[in-house]
Amino acid sequence: MGRPPTVISFGKWLFPAVVAITLLLPLLFAGTVPAADLSLSSKTYLRYYERELAGGNKNTFAPLYEYLSADAANLGGKPLSFHFYGWGRMDLSDPSGSEKTSGEIGSAYMEYLHPQGNAQAKLGRFFLTEGAAMETIDGAFVKATTPLGLGVSVYGGAPVEYSILNGTKGGSALYGTRVFFVQAGYAEIGASYLRENGSFQEGKDRELFGGDLWLRVAPRVELTAQASYNRSVREMASQRYAVRIVPGATFDISAGYESYTYKGLFQSALHPAFVSPWVNPDDKVQAIFGIVDWAFVPGWTLEVAGKNIRHDQSDPGDANRGEVGVRYTYNGKKDVAGFSAAFVSADQAENEYQEYRGFASYSPSKLRVTLDALTQRYKEEPIPGNGKKNQYQVVATAGYQVLAALHLSGDLTYTQSPNYSKDYAGLLRATLELGTTTGGKK
Amino acid sequence: MTRRMPFPAVFGAILIALLVGCSAVSQTPSVPPKHPEELPAGRVDCLECHQDVSTGALRPYANFRHSRVFINSHGTYARQKQNLCTSCHAPAFCQTCHAGKEEMKPNVKMGDRPDRMAPHRGDYLVTHRIDGRLDPGSCFRCHGNKNDSRCKQCHK
Repeated sequence: MGRPPTVISFGKWLFPAVVAITLLLPLLFAGTVPAADLSLSSKTYLRYYERELAGGNKNTFAPLYEYLSADAANLGGKPLSFHFYGWGRMDLSDPSGSEKTSGEIGSAYMEYLHPQGNAQAKLGRFFLTEGAAMETIDGAFVKATTPLGLGVSVYGGAPVEYSILNGTKGGSALYGTRVFFVQAGYAEIGASYLRENGSFQEGKDRELFGGDLWLRVAPRVELTAQASYNRSVREMASQRYAVRIVPGATFDISAGYESYTYKGLFQSALHPAFVSPWVNPDDKVQAIFGIVDWAFVPGWTLEVAGKNIRHDQSDPGDANRGEVGVRYTYNGKKDVAGFSAAFVSADQAENEYQEYRGFASYSPSKLRVTLDALTQRYKEEPIPGNGKKNQYQVVATAGYQVLAALHLSGDLTYTQSPNYSKDYAGLLRATLELGTTTGGKK
Repeated sequence: MTRRMPFPAVFGAILIALLVGCSAVSQTPSVPPKHPEELPAGRVDCLECHQDVSTGALRPYANFRHSRVFINSHGTYARQKQNLCTSCHAPAFCQTCHAGKEEMKPNVKMGDRPDRMAPHRGDYLVTHRIDGRLDPGSCFRCHGNKNDSRCKQCHK
């Protein structure tokens, strides 16, 4: 008999507390911030599109989005920084979502970074990738590496459950650790643990044991491995093993194997939408992949990728995906033109399609124009009875650098697909980058 | 009935034991909080300026050339050294794609950057039926493993 799920309900008050703390902490340094490096990025988008409703009526959508990020580093001359990222939407016409407004704080946290970069601490809301964890949490994270190369990280808090609609059920607390050993230039090996309290697969907490490895077996050859075991359901959640060869600055090749089980990887039973009409949570996906990136002539790059996907279950069956593309970079790397062709061949005809794409940009002085064209050709009608087996999309953009910190641009998108017979959409974009800092920040 | 040791206590014990046992944090120069110089446009190629092994990342700089191979496997590196990414990228960069609650597709936000590898180009409402059937784990990387809930928002 399984242990009843642990419920810790501090998630409700933790976020307001954490946000308050993280917003107030920078104020503590307000009197001593002349040395602070500040940067602010604002990206404003106004979209416009129409949708035809049954009965011949039309809805007109004009959502206005604001994406704001702000970073203050070197607070008080100390290795402390504050980071914020969030977005909001306000509809100027018909509601484009369930309500006329929406938004989210993606991150808001204080960070300490050791002067030599070998220790780190975060407090607040942040996106974390560490061993088995790839989560957004309201909480704390600490990591340190010792002179011997042995290190540890610990994190904990309330998981942030995102959903376009409200009501997504998530855990009440999430915490974990990673212990690792790193040998400069040769190896890094880590073991990690993650636990999320809640009612997930089989009504249990989510509990993962993870392992990760980077090993330089020869001067130009590295092996990477990443695996996690879901203790709650006693399944390997996911595995990925790859060998990568980088013989020089112009050639890069990798091949490997990855697999995951539905029951182990997903937190709740898989929805029939994935494998209609019947779902077997014990299905296992295995894939063999290979990727080549070869800059065969200065400015020209050839990209080739292939993936063989196998399912334990006959529905949805196996598939192969192949892709080849060429990119040409010019104008001091400011502009790129490219063409790619991809195909998916599968056991089941409904899963087969081809894709062709071409794009180019041109940036003389302060002006920038781009063109991007794509077509996908399905073997069977993706929407049965719809009669349409192809889709086309063309995106044309034009922009101008009005000021050193302000760039304005506009997009026009034409789409013809099984969903849309003739769809035009417009977008206006204003990008403002302000800051007192120097150095790279892409 | 067995009684399990509370994990927070285990974490704390490990942390204290390691830090006390090894006395200090490494003083080897590591990842700077920020790349000291302005970065050029286009895909990053550290080898244009750097050689050998990065002291902070403890890996050859060639590994971080933003080739198609690196882009496809960047998650493997991020799970070991997330602060390396933020040395050159803004902290919010990851969440351009890895954002569970997001209404604008990355390729719409970055419509003027067709050179970027932005997922879901075209009318992805159509193609997601196939990609979701064949490789639902690929959805997990950006949408999180609660994407069953995401599906239920439309597939009721």
